[in-house]
Amino acid sequence: MSRVLGVGWALPALDDSNRAFFTSGTLALQRCETCGHVQHPPEEVCASCQGSSFDAFESAGLGRVESVAVVHHPVHPALADRVPYAIVLVSVDDVPGVLVTGNVVGTAPEAVGIGERVRVVFEEATDPSNEQVFLIPQWEIVR
Amino acid sequence: MHGASAICGIGESDYYAWGESPHTEFQLACIAIRRAVEDAGLELADVDGFVSYTDMRNLPTRLARALGLRELRWAATTWPGGGNSVAAAVQLADAAVTAGYARHVVVFRALAQGQFGRFGVAGGAGTGGDGPYMTGPFAWNGTYGVLTPAQQCALRTARFMHDHGISQEALCEIALACYANAQRNPRAIRYGNPLTREAYHASRWIVTPFHLYDCCPENDGAAACVVASSERARDLPNRPASIVAAAQGIGPGFGVFTPEDLASSHYRQVADHLWNAAGLRPEDVDVAQFYENFTGPVLIALCEMGFASPDGVEKFVSDGALVGPDARFPFNTSGGNIGEAYIHGFEMINESVRQIRGESSCQVASVERALVVGGPGYAPGSALLLGAPT
Repeated sequence: MSRVLGVGWALPALDDSNRAFFTSGTLALQRCETCGHVQHPPEEVCASCQGSSFDAFESAGLGRVESVAVVHHPVHPALADRVPYAIVLVSVDDVPGVLVTGNVVGTAPEAVGIGERVRVVFEEATDPSNEQVFLIPQWEIVR
Repeated sequence: MHGASAICGIGESDYYAWGESPHTEFQLACIAIRRAVEDAGLELADVDGFVSYTDMRNLPTRLARALGLRELRWAATTWPGGGNSVAAAVQLADAAVTAGYARHVVVFRALAQGQFGRFGVAGGAGTGGDGPYMTGPFAWNGTYGVLTPAQQCALRTARFMHDHGISQEALCEIALACYANAQRNPRAIRYGNPLTREAYHASRWIVTPFHLYDCCPENDGAAACVVASSERARDLPNRPASIVAAAQGIGPGFGVFTPEDLASSHYRQVADHLWNAAGLRPEDVDVAQFYENFTGPVLIALCEMGFASPDGVEKFVSDGALVGPDARFPFNTSGGNIGEAYIHGFEMINESVRQIRGESSCQVASVERALVVGGPGYAPGSALLLGAPT
């Protein structure tokens, strides 16, 4: 699937804390190697035990729309032909306490409601400067 | 109840539309500070402290030199954020003069976004990132086109409205009140430009549930006040606005989007500390200024500060309840960020002092307590309760 916000939209700068999330093709969230606590967005220290070594927890990628807003004003010129688009905060069934930001694919933005069930899908993108392939988590409505 | 210090002087530059100031941001800061010090009946050389917030441009040493201070004994700023810290900045000055670390502390905010780029959009091109990439924390939202405070506040507001059956009219009431009150205030950017309910609803969407008029404008200007001990303030010409209580903080969500805090303005904990420190309750407040970068979070903050229940807040703000000096709930009497000027909420501090003095353009009768609630939705939040001199 191509990018919701267009092939030219800015890509995340990959680092150790976000590489799995944006490239693995799974909903990979930061897990503390010491105590197993899963947190998102990642932090340099575990909020449960203050540990500082992490691996990734692969979520099943099912969740619920906790809030949705439809962006009409394109803040950046590159988004001018992409509005309106829906932005959502999704709670993940198997990781209580976190919200994941995303867009919704396959449904008109104004038709996305709070409380809807969603499933993770991945949009593909390639950084033209170095051929790095991204698989960026997005959401589709499960009805 | 505290009351050991007071605001004894206020001042501001003229307020300008975005990019239209004939002065630099630093010059605007100096104008506002000079006027506040003059209003206090002091000389610039009497100032020995500076406090600001979200400002790493107008540094205290630079100001001290330009304004001719004799010495600087107190220089402090809140952590970065935005208008959430407006009341916290006054709290820092209160702490300084109460502890005796300084005698006359100036608190100020200068903002010329026309010269330095828009607040709230990091990164040169407005991408929230570094060149073509979303870096660090921006990656989690910016990759998805979540780039601005408006969008983040919209997500909070949408959930709050959903949970409590709140309609678009409740947001409209906030915007209408700010515009209506600004029509009495010649300083206000929106003076002479009233807003109608029809124009509100006809205005374009920025991000649902925010129309254009749910979003404050961006302005260039500066405002300042002088804080001194109450004992010192009694010797100065103005009726002092006593600092009854101030609070800042957040917890336990700490500003991150979490399921528990999603529909919060982060003011529950600030409210507890403020009312406990003051020994007062919301019903003791005569006039209130609520920071409105966007209308929606004001509704949440009204509830978390204890003025309304989430299920009753739409009724609380409806039927002109917020408009004018005789309002059921006198609110944003200078016009606030939306109507007067977006000086990161500092215009609300000066308006509250005017209310205590009896000098507002929308003067509420016999004001004993004036409340300022800083920016909701960002953390840590802060609130300030001013009172008639003790």
